[in-house]
Amino acid sequence: MTISQEDIAAYVDGELSSEREAKVAAAVAADPELQRQVDAHRALKARLSGHFAPIAEEPVPEALAALLTPKPAEVVDFTAAREKRQARHTLPRWSWIAGPAIAATLALALFLPRGGAPEGYADPQLAGVLDSQLVAEQQPGADTRILLSFRDGDGDFCRAFSGSEGSGIACRDATGWKLEALGEGSDGAATDYRMAGASEGDILERAQQMADGPALDATAEEEARASGWR
Amino acid sequence: MLPRLRRFAVGLCGNPTDGDDLCQMSIERALANRDKWQDGTRLDSWMYRIMRNLWIDEGRATTRRRETFVAEEAGLSVGSEGAQESAVELSMVDRAMQELPPDQREAVLLVMVEGYAYKEAAEIVGCPVGTLNSRLVRGRDALLELLGEKA
Repeated sequence: MTISQEDIAAYVDGELSSEREAKVAAAVAADPELQRQVDAHRALKARLSGHFAPIAEEPVPEALAALLTPKPAEVVDFTAAREKRQARHTLPRWSWIAGPAIAATLALALFLPRGGAPEGYADPQLAGVLDSQLVAEQQPGADTRILLSFRDGDGDFCRAFSGSEGSGIACRDATGWKLEALGEGSDGAATDYRMAGASEGDILERAQQMADGPALDATAEEEARASGWR
Repeated sequence: MLPRLRRFAVGLCGNPTDGDDLCQMSIERALANRDKWQDGTRLDSWMYRIMRNLWIDEGRATTRRRETFVAEEAGLSVGSEGAQESAVELSMVDRAMQELPPDQREAVLLVMVEGYAYKEAAEIVGCPVGTLNSRLVRGRDALLELLGEKA
């Protein structure tokens, strides 16, 4: 069979059907010229991803991150205004741990919370969310949102979550998701742009105390999920 | 997601300054349109689509601006070649990427840097998979040529 440029490229990208892939692999193995092309494509891919990787590692410029932080709300109630001010003042206390998880803040800023959580160990419903839900892929209607994930001092994976009826931190041990901290549920967002309310601030501050390093980024979260959070 | 989006923006624009501007516009547009995001679809793909659409729209305007601007700058820097060179000091990869037509550049970035499958990349761009595939092949060949990976 003839092997086209498209075949070679798709082969390198892992885009061929398994049947076709086997054929191309055989052809490549038998033909040094094809092998050379495959190597050139691989080298190019490695060079490109190597070149652009550092950009994703850089801290996100403040101007961008600021777009996702709470905006001063138009308030009618002075008590609410004071609470909001205080809520904002809590931000710097946990901001360092959220930095690498800035991916999370985009999802948080776009969508509003709902849902509930129990005591002791997480119930099956919450455990399901903790097992499967990645910060980067959260659905807007999700009952419970994951705020961020981190490892505690024992090396266990922990996840801070928030819902309308409860929020907290759960860490995965041999038994299941142990609830380490529980806070009040969020009372619905006061502004659509809000990143985190006061109760979430408390949870995040607690997470920061428990964490042994910064929060997991999207890739690390995905890997942790793949290994069952153990 | 934000660091990845920013990487895509910088890759499209060819420099961090324009990339951050693009990123900012994309987030603002996403926030303004967040009710249009459909449940069950991937948030990151949606964001990438917003970004590339903005970039395409902006590109038409910027190209015109830049043509005027560059002509002016070239006129000012006559006789100071050294300074001019350092101003346009870009890495080989950056320069090669900027040589690519926009449709090839975005295809290369989405698949080879961001790691999207052809089908996902085609959905973001809004073209058939076959079209994306051929842009990718052309873009890749041009890069191999420009970066001297082709023996």
